[in-house]
Amino acid sequence: MTGPLYLGIDVGSSATKCVVLAEDGTLLGHHVTPSGFDYGESADRALSCALFEAEAERDAIAYCVSTGYGRERIALADRRVTEITCHARGAREWYPGVRHIIDIGGQDTKVIRLSEEGKMADYRMNAKCAAGTGTFLESIALKLGITLAELDELALRSREKAVVNSYCTVFAGTEVIERIKEGQPPAEIAMGLFRSIATRVSEMMAVRNGAVGATGGVVAHCRAMVRALEEVMETEVLLPPLPQHAGAYGAALMAIESCRAHRS
Amino acid sequence: MSSIVSTVVNRIEIQAQQKLKELLRACFVNLDEAARAPERRVAWCTSVGPCEILTALGFDVYFPENHGALLGARKLSQHLIPRAVGVGYCAESCSYMTSDIGATLAHASPLREVYGIDGPPKPDVLVYSTNQCREVQDWMSWYGRRDGAPVLGVCPPAHLGEVTRAHIEFVRGQLRHLIEELERRFGLRMDDRRLEEVVDRSSRASALWRQVLDTAQARPSPLTFFDGVIHMAPVILMRGSTAAIDYYVTLLAELEARVRDGVAAVPDERFRVYWEGMPIWPKLRELSTKFFDLATVVAASTYCNSWAFEEYDGGDPLLWMAKTSTEIFINRDEDTKEAFLEEMFRRFSIDGVIFHNARTCPNNTNSRFGMPQRIRERLGLPALVIDGDLSDARFFSAAQTLTNIEAFVEQLEEQAR
Repeated sequence: MTGPLYLGIDVGSSATKCVVLAEDGTLLGHHVTPSGFDYGESADRALSCALFEAEAERDAIAYCVSTGYGRERIALADRRVTEITCHARGAREWYPGVRHIIDIGGQDTKVIRLSEEGKMADYRMNAKCAAGTGTFLESIALKLGITLAELDELALRSREKAVVNSYCTVFAGTEVIERIKEGQPPAEIAMGLFRSIATRVSEMMAVRNGAVGATGGVVAHCRAMVRALEEVMETEVLLPPLPQHAGAYGAALMAIESCRAHRS
Repeated sequence: MSSIVSTVVNRIEIQAQQKLKELLRACFVNLDEAARAPERRVAWCTSVGPCEILTALGFDVYFPENHGALLGARKLSQHLIPRAVGVGYCAESCSYMTSDIGATLAHASPLREVYGIDGPPKPDVLVYSTNQCREVQDWMSWYGRRDGAPVLGVCPPAHLGEVTRAHIEFVRGQLRHLIEELERRFGLRMDDRRLEEVVDRSSRASALWRQVLDTAQARPSPLTFFDGVIHMAPVILMRGSTAAIDYYVTLLAELEARVRDGVAAVPDERFRVYWEGMPIWPKLRELSTKFFDLATVVAASTYCNSWAFEEYDGGDPLLWMAKTSTEIFINRDEDTKEAFLEEMFRRFSIDGVIFHNARTCPNNTNSRFGMPQRIRERLGLPALVIDGDLSDARFFSAAQTLTNIEAFVEQLEEQAR
């Protein structure tokens, strides 16, 4: 691939995602890698792998938009845009009719409302707290001595509508221990944790007008999260082809648009 | 307020700022001298309290909330609050109060470094008005117990929609009683003429302060909220003095010249935002820089307007004091607050509103009962709620908040397209 390439790099708190698009928006390559200590290095790694998939070279890059918490660290970026706007842009492309986007990331969770024209009409981010984020699940999985994938698998076996009442990561951990002591089935406890996040998300913004689009690493890796959202929000939850890459995809789409705007 | 002079990014410096520094130093040195002179008396007073009565009776008036803000701005609060928590004050109660009490317990005050004085002057009397919150009463009471000083106060009816004659008479009665108590305890006699003069000066300073803030109606705005929180110091700390009046005459002339010459506080001003709620004193620099970089001016705020009272036109000075202190925004119901905000948005051509959800200041936080949603739906104005605190930096996440603000401006951009 030698034509102009458009990059979106999303440097999140847990993972760095890169998406490479052709000028017509065709997805040519993508990659995700842990963000680690050095955002520049993780972005470089994600880019190299995405370019490898695209069978392209760096000199074909026409424009790059960076996003995510580490967006300022990406020297290659021609423009920096917040992850809120980029997630809205990416999800809108996949689901033009969807009015609400829920993004559950490692460090923060966002609920975005789009206007009928697809513009960002409103949004909410979680407060300074791990409640309702991927960190909540990772922290409790670690405490239980299992992986996030195992926690997800366990939760999917749940048959009841068990609830973990605490949003707070610390208090939820205590509540889980209480439930174990009471002899509650592990599958119900695990699903209760996903419902706790879904309840927290449902409080952030009243979601109306049909299905919602879900993005971010948690829904990408945990089917139980999607199920919990559907149960708690009582609506269909749509999962895009690359949920974890929605921000990077939106950034790459904005790279195409920005480049066009510069030309004109 | 005072310390912010040296901590806030002020890209296009307001020349009057130098005069402000001198005024503030003189004010604090005078208070220190008053506390040391046996024949003089120091009264502590809350920021929208009945300070005119105290000044007219000859007290030198000190406002402890300024110290709370100073501790926040100097990023000291989070180190001092644990001292107050240790003596039974909740870490989530007013951080002005807990950081100030903590500073006293730790014998630490930035007043030494800033003004060269030992610390807050010891009070002979502490006077509060609960028109802003009940915490001020508890705050003053801590010092009252510690220093053996009387704690006197006024408790206006709260959360009012319409302010009636009966409300005002009730407060005027309390002010009369306050005068009687001060006269009795300190062997003083109120000179009614002097009180009228002090109230008149207070009102004139306040009217000029309103004119200063109103210059931000110009596009581009000659000042921002971040300038406002610096320059509001005289209307609080020197209310009732000619020094405050003179200062605002100078400042107003400078800002009017800026408007005439098209000098922008934020160059290439793209958007105009309203700040509702308390300042985040420990993060003023970061916030000011962020808005500056986004070419967005925070053109108006409820906070700075809290000391823009209606004018005194003669007559009973206590009536004016009762009316202005009962009518203030913080003492009103949701509908009245919303109507005030709507008028402010119109007057200042506001594109979006930022609500500060101050963790330890529920009374001056207006995002907890659906107001941002109502403003979005009724006025179609984008509204953002950010979490933080007035003094305790531990309740603030820089990365989250600054991203939130940046996304808010992106939303304004998208809507403007």
